[in-house]
Amino acid sequence: MITFAELCEQLYAATSAWGLPWLVPTLVVMGVVVGFVIAYIAVASMFMIWWERKISAHIQVRFGPMRVGGWHGWAQSIADGIKLLLKEDIIPARADKVVFVLAPMVVFAASLATYVTIPWAPGLIVKDLNIGLLYMVAISSLTVVGIIMAGWSSNNKYATLGAMRSAAQAVSYEVPLVLSLLGPVMLAGTMSMGQLVEAQGGTWFGFLPRWFVFPQAVAFLVYFTCALAECNRLPFDIPEAESELVAGFHVEYSGMRFAIFFLAEYANMFAVAAIATTIFLGGWRGPWLPIPGLPAEVARGLFGLVWFQVKCYFLIFVMMWLRWTLNRLRVDQLMDFAWKVLLPIAFANLIVTGLVLALWG
Amino acid sequence: MTLKLGIFYLLAAFTVWAAAVVVLGKNIVRAAVALIFTFCGVAALYVLLDAEFLAAVQVLIYVGGITILLLFAIMLTSRISSATARVINDQVVLSAVAAAGLLVGLIYAATQGIAALSGPPRLPETTRFLGRALLTTYALPFEVVSILLLAAMVGAIVLARKE
Amino acid sequence: MDTKNLPTPIGTTVMMERTGETMEEMYVNMGPQHPSTHGVLRLMLKLDGEVITDCIPYVGYLHRCHEKIAENRTYPQIVPYTDRLDYLASMSMNFGYVLTVERLMGQQVPARAEYMRVILAELQRIASHLLWLGTFGLDLGNFTIFIYCFREREMILDLFEAVSGQRLNYSFYRIGGMAFDFPDGWLDNCRAFLEWFKPRIPEYDALVTDNILFQKRNQGIGIIDAKSAVDWGLSGPMLRASGLTWDLRRNDPYSIYDRFDFAIPVFDTCDVWARFLVRRQEMLESVKIVEQALAQLPPGEIMAKMPKTLKPPAGQVYVRTESPRGELGFYLVSDGTPKPYRYKVRSPAFCNLSALPVMMKGCLVADAVAILGSIDIVLGEIDR
Repeated sequence: MITFAELCEQLYAATSAWGLPWLVPTLVVMGVVVGFVIAYIAVASMFMIWWERKISAHIQVRFGPMRVGGWHGWAQSIADGIKLLLKEDIIPARADKVVFVLAPMVVFAASLATYVTIPWAPGLIVKDLNIGLLYMVAISSLTVVGIIMAGWSSNNKYATLGAMRSAAQAVSYEVPLVLSLLGPVMLAGTMSMGQLVEAQGGTWFGFLPRWFVFPQAVAFLVYFTCALAECNRLPFDIPEAESELVAGFHVEYSGMRFAIFFLAEYANMFAVAAIATTIFLGGWRGPWLPIPGLPAEVARGLFGLVWFQVKCYFLIFVMMWLRWTLNRLRVDQLMDFAWKVLLPIAFANLIVTGLVLALWG
Repeated sequence: MTLKLGIFYLLAAFTVWAAAVVVLGKNIVRAAVALIFTFCGVAALYVLLDAEFLAAVQVLIYVGGITILLLFAIMLTSRISSATARVINDQVVLSAVAAAGLLVGLIYAATQGIAALSGPPRLPETTRFLGRALLTTYALPFEVVSILLLAAMVGAIVLARKE
Repeated sequence: MDTKNLPTPIGTTVMMERTGETMEEMYVNMGPQHPSTHGVLRLMLKLDGEVITDCIPYVGYLHRCHEKIAENRTYPQIVPYTDRLDYLASMSMNFGYVLTVERLMGQQVPARAEYMRVILAELQRIASHLLWLGTFGLDLGNFTIFIYCFREREMILDLFEAVSGQRLNYSFYRIGGMAFDFPDGWLDNCRAFLEWFKPRIPEYDALVTDNILFQKRNQGIGIIDAKSAVDWGLSGPMLRASGLTWDLRRNDPYSIYDRFDFAIPVFDTCDVWARFLVRRQEMLESVKIVEQALAQLPPGEIMAKMPKTLKPPAGQVYVRTESPRGELGFYLVSDGTPKPYRYKVRSPAFCNLSALPVMMKGCLVADAVAILGSIDIVLGEIDR
């Protein structure tokens, strides 16, 4: 595949030909890249919202959206998006305006920033940082800050309590999340997302791909559970639960601001699934065939792109499946689970991996 | 004026502005939010200094942990939204003197140059180097800090438990 | 309950009160508009941190002067009012009321009508428990069980609509018999429904009963021991979940319940989980009763010969039946006129709800919803 760097070079060269000072091509390249990522997030989120409604409907012996746009209501998300855009923008009377307006931006910016190091295809990463994985985890912890800001600035006791619950949950589950990711990092010897996928090439016994999910199955399960908690999805959705005593942290948000929270949640889900795919399921690796008329590299790249999406959406499907099957955990059970169950398991996995690597290389 | 220098000026201005809001702001919650931006600005400056591991850890620990702790403490204090922070207090003269002294020292260091500050060594990958250093050369301080953290955690739990 | 410190305005949501030197207790208001209070119920929870120290239910938002209205209606005219008591188990309400008047009058009911009554009452029990199960799971965050339970409940409601013309407030029982006979094909539809329903319970089991998350949410909370349960006047599944084998259909049989062979599910852990298991098992037992009743259904009249104006002899009577929520009692005082002198309803949900403070004490706020759901309240019956 043409690497991302080469694409950027070509774009830079094209815009430099306009003869403007060096700042302009740089900004144009950055703008185009960000535009693509935001466009992908927007389309993917809309698709995921529609898909969630369809999956939930079929699990519940219903149909889901069927009318808007004709075939199985595919345009339902677009209609909902337009509706949210047209809603009145209400800011509560004694809310802290600056923080109130800033909170959805922080949450969305944090979710957007994690897309920098996602390896979509061989060579196609916006920037293959050598601390890619650590960067993604660090930036996604910014969403918690945004949630607290949202809850506090709403001037609503229940929103504040919900935000604090959400923050406590997110912070608690971050620890086993990072620990579970360290196992594959030790196996691969690098934190760079692109190189982590490279390290999963080849097969065992001729047919089993060398994905890290096989030696690190425990880490994968721990990671997936923690990822569900980070995204505030059932069974960890206390912060958003309507039928509990405390309402969610975004209760005072309406219209486009609420849409941004919603979009950020789905963007977060995809980012988390992307990390799981990259680290455990071999990223864009998968069987590929040469396409006549295209160079082999490009064909491999295109297949890689498709495989990556397939794997990510499979994990997202599992997340949605769990949401509509399981019930909510109580807050103290949630905390118990993170600190008393997941954390020791993650530590044990780390120790065993380290021992095996030290003894057998 | 290269791109890097331009970005540095932008980030520095942003960080200083955010820090000014923290120090001079009357609303405590806004000050805490500005602290988040300060930490992010510092993390970005770390990146410019090629210390990318440190930048990521700065965001993870300071923003993702310490500011959340701060915000919890603020939000759990009753009637905090009606309280205004005092910007000037009794030690203003002493702190002005100390700040001026620090400023003079920093300007001197920036213009005259001090041998110890002749630029960081350009390392290809700081993570590997840091990890190795922490577990070989600096193993003892590493372990001592771990025990200190453990003591802090145990202390916090003991204090928070209701008897 | 110390009422002097309680705030009265409904708009207040959170109050702080100093009790003792360092403790601060908080009152949190739940309702009357709340997705999980199952009607217009207001709960004031007294919290110490996350732990509930007291719970004060405020009822009366749905009071419609049912008993007073009945004093100005003739006996047959009261039947539609009884529907609206526990609107989720209208057939059982009708059943209790007509039995009371018939006991007062010494009226015999034709055999076919007796069997019809039992069939419809037990189907109503299944429908009521299905709704309870669906909303209980919904409160805990399991959206799917709600749809599954309502799917089965819709089938029962279709059966009821076919026989009575109504989906919710049937007014189908009459003093002396039933309003109409089963339409053609109804019996086959009923049998088909029972065959469809029996494998549904294992399906729900796979979704909730065997789900460790669901168990962990419900075990060990909302405990009320057997002695307290009797002292507080609990009845129905609440008693059976505290280890007491007490079911009015067996211990004080009315109508023709003594002709059927069914078990009384009893569990002795006294918590929310036990009540869940009791109601789940009761659905299966009701299926057995309906099958036996369908098999034994005799042909014949469905309504006895009744005078044009019903004038029961002067006297008083209290008749209790086992509604899905517990012991439903009707106390009737007649003075020989076509209208009752005094009419009182003993609402099982009202008595069960009164024990809520005992059950909530010591539990976490998040359990409040589960415990409230386990009592299976209907405000129409509580407030009358």
